[in-house]
Amino acid sequence: MPKWFQPLALLCGAMFAFTPLVIANAPYESTMGLVQKVFYYHMPSAWVFLTASVVCGIASARFLATGNPRHDRTALAAAEMAVLFGLLTLVTGPLWARKAWGTWWIWDARITSSLVGWMIAWAYLILRQYGGPGSEKLSAGLALFGMANVPFIYVSVNYWRTIHPATTVVPKLPFSMGFPLLFCLAAFFLLMFLLMTLRTRVAEQQARLDAIYLSLDEQA
Amino acid sequence: MRTLIRTIAVVFVLTMQVASLSAQKQPEQQEVFTPIDQLPPQEQLPAAPLLVSAYVFVLLMLFGYLLMVSRRLTTIRSEVDRLDADVKRSGKG
Repeated sequence: MPKWFQPLALLCGAMFAFTPLVIANAPYESTMGLVQKVFYYHMPSAWVFLTASVVCGIASARFLATGNPRHDRTALAAAEMAVLFGLLTLVTGPLWARKAWGTWWIWDARITSSLVGWMIAWAYLILRQYGGPGSEKLSAGLALFGMANVPFIYVSVNYWRTIHPATTVVPKLPFSMGFPLLFCLAAFFLLMFLLMTLRTRVAEQQARLDAIYLSLDEQA
Repeated sequence: MRTLIRTIAVVFVLTMQVASLSAQKQPEQQEVFTPIDQLPPQEQLPAAPLLVSAYVFVLLMLFGYLLMVSRRLTTIRSEVDRLDADVKRSGKG
């Protein structure tokens, strides 16, 4: 692993260890109370999920354009991040909604399009796993749809009827709520970067392993 | 592969059915978060089990994924090292 990986991993671990303390010091929100503090993990998870979908789409586009397997490995790692952080978003959201809205789930535009985005990321991985030879290019095409869905997820709360908080909430946050959010965002994005580095490394080693098996077959 | 695609299609159709069944009137959208400092204590909504569940779920999933990827990397590395040694040995022989 690169030299910077370990110090950054330690920093990320320390940041996650501090997040409960930072969140505990944030004030309660007036209408939702304690349960609103799910926000400090829910929103960073959602942002990482959307970012990972975009990274997967861009890397897939570059792979389709250049054929460079490096971009394919980046796209694969980003797709796993999208599935992981999408799951965190789709589980923490209902836990928050149960108390705040009185229901686990509603089929509004934001939640439904997030579910679709998450299923596209899953479809990418399933296609990679079971699609056979050439599935890298098919799944790269699928990733482009996943990326195209991201702006729709983001603006959906502003254009469709929903009880999801509007996008104006974050810019209007007071410092006492904004600082914990920024701290958690930094921790989640750092974690995403580290996990993607690790997952890309796994894909590189797997490619090396496949190359060795091929050379052994040729020798035999 | 066909079975997998059929299963995914069935799950998707069933999910959409649930969507139409659970259609409901929505409360109003919230546009700003306000700190609760001034509200009386009885209006604060304790929701510790949901909050703790959310945080524990996130941390467990992240730790589980990290563990899974680390183990995969260790396994592949040891496999690569073993095969590298085999290739070198067969090259000498």
